[in-house]
Amino acid sequence: MSKLLIDVGSTYFKVCEETKLAQFFRDFKKDIYDDLLTKCGDIFKHYAKEDVYICSSANGGLSTLIIGLTNSFSLKFAKNIAFNSGINIIDTILYSKIEESKAPLELIDVVIIVGGIDGIGGVFDERLFNYLSKVQYSNIVYVGTTQDAAYLSQNIPNLKVLDNIITQKLHVNGAELKEYLTNLYQADIVGKEDIKHLYEFTSNQIYSTPYIVNRSLPLIDANFEVVNPFIVVDIGGATTDIHYSRDLVRDNILSDSEYDRLVFKKLGVYKSKETLIFAAKNNEFVYELLSYLNVTENILEEESAKSLRILMQLSIFLVLYKVSRLNPAYVTLHLELLKSIVLTGGITKVLSYEEVEAIIAFFYRKVMNLHSLPTIVMDYDYAIWTLGMKNDTHKEPKCL
Amino acid sequence: MQKVVTGVIGNDIHVVANRLIDISLQARGFEVFNLGVNTSLEEFIDAVVETDADILLISSLNGEAEGWCRDLQFLRSEYTLRDVVFVIGGNLAVGEAKQSDIIPKYQSYGFDLVFHQVDLNTGLDELEKYMSERA
Repeated sequence: MSKLLIDVGSTYFKVCEETKLAQFFRDFKKDIYDDLLTKCGDIFKHYAKEDVYICSSANGGLSTLIIGLTNSFSLKFAKNIAFNSGINIIDTILYSKIEESKAPLELIDVVIIVGGIDGIGGVFDERLFNYLSKVQYSNIVYVGTTQDAAYLSQNIPNLKVLDNIITQKLHVNGAELKEYLTNLYQADIVGKEDIKHLYEFTSNQIYSTPYIVNRSLPLIDANFEVVNPFIVVDIGGATTDIHYSRDLVRDNILSDSEYDRLVFKKLGVYKSKETLIFAAKNNEFVYELLSYLNVTENILEEESAKSLRILMQLSIFLVLYKVSRLNPAYVTLHLELLKSIVLTGGITKVLSYEEVEAIIAFFYRKVMNLHSLPTIVMDYDYAIWTLGMKNDTHKEPKCL
Repeated sequence: MQKVVTGVIGNDIHVVANRLIDISLQARGFEVFNLGVNTSLEEFIDAVVETDADILLISSLNGEAEGWCRDLQFLRSEYTLRDVVFVIGGNLAVGEAKQSDIIPKYQSYGFDLVFHQVDLNTGLDELEKYMSERA
């Protein structure tokens, strides 16, 4: 019996059967279950529950607050692990500035406290407790020096203590925290009212979409015309994900994983359209880019098929710009080493290969001053997502 | 055991020198945290904070350390560091330069000990002497 694969996105449902693939625009007046039943009810009739596999990125992801000792080690390591666990929304607090830092107003799903190698004590003090008393959170985990674990456990209710993520060699040890966060993410998906009802369609675990894409990365160069190092850009309705080979970064993180993930949480062409336009208008190259595309900035205010295509082209440009050397605020990828760019998500249904090539050519020639472009691969039929869903060789995360 | 954070600063890839410093420090009984080559000043300071190190020993061989070390006072003021000893050594200037010019310059940046074109073992002897006198 063949499998039915479903991806519940913030803007579209993607449904993949053995030979055909379909996508349906979400009806935001209905909850996910009703909407899916209306659009795919007939398809479900042909599949047993054990043959239906669902992943979702529609729940918005977990929000995370990381409190760490330094930018170069504790915060950087914890942020890297959180992104690779599928978490989207991350705020960080440098511990030396905790007294001046404002507590977030919204409920935080998980607070991560990290700092110091094992063997040093007295890293955290009253300042941490004072700050935490102002934060509303559901979970809190400590992954710093073991010497402070007992003291913090006594003073912070329900504190989960895991292995220190910083080794004695100042390398990253992310396994335990990654498993904890992945399980938390899975539990969050299962716990969401909208998603919970989807278990009426399937008897399998519902995964988070970034986790599924991450699972497919080691298989991409064997299944596509892709050469390592590559990046996978998934421009969605609400967020944009970029998965990249670690060969493209030069930082002090040594980990077993060959790939990393970065999320631009306010960069999408539907739900985050306003922030995308704002980012575009503040970019130094944008007017030259619009002129290159033979349009004016008025196109950004329009509601038309052409303006959607321009927005998508802009989002490709902005993603590349944000990870380039011109924008040190994010991870800097050595794009001059890049061999392939794989585009996936709804963007492949809207833009033609030529339109994508034009924008990447503009970026490489104008911003990078390079004339040779990486190979562009369009994942027209969401093969990356289906590859990850079918790849059962990886250890499945536990559900809490 | 005293803890030392070491590495080569800036766009400098003298790995052999870095390895020799690491081995020599270990042989003298220090616990060494070696950040390797191409290290930024911020990473050095952050490593001192994460390891609660006693000494930060920065090396530079290509002579370009000056441009990378000017923010030392600013960066160390970001944290409450206990009595960390800041040391820099190697070839600290491009071209000809006098010890009498170089040493005060780096001391004004916040370094306690400055070794310009001084033999590694001589420099480490001086460091040990400084540490024992301070104790």
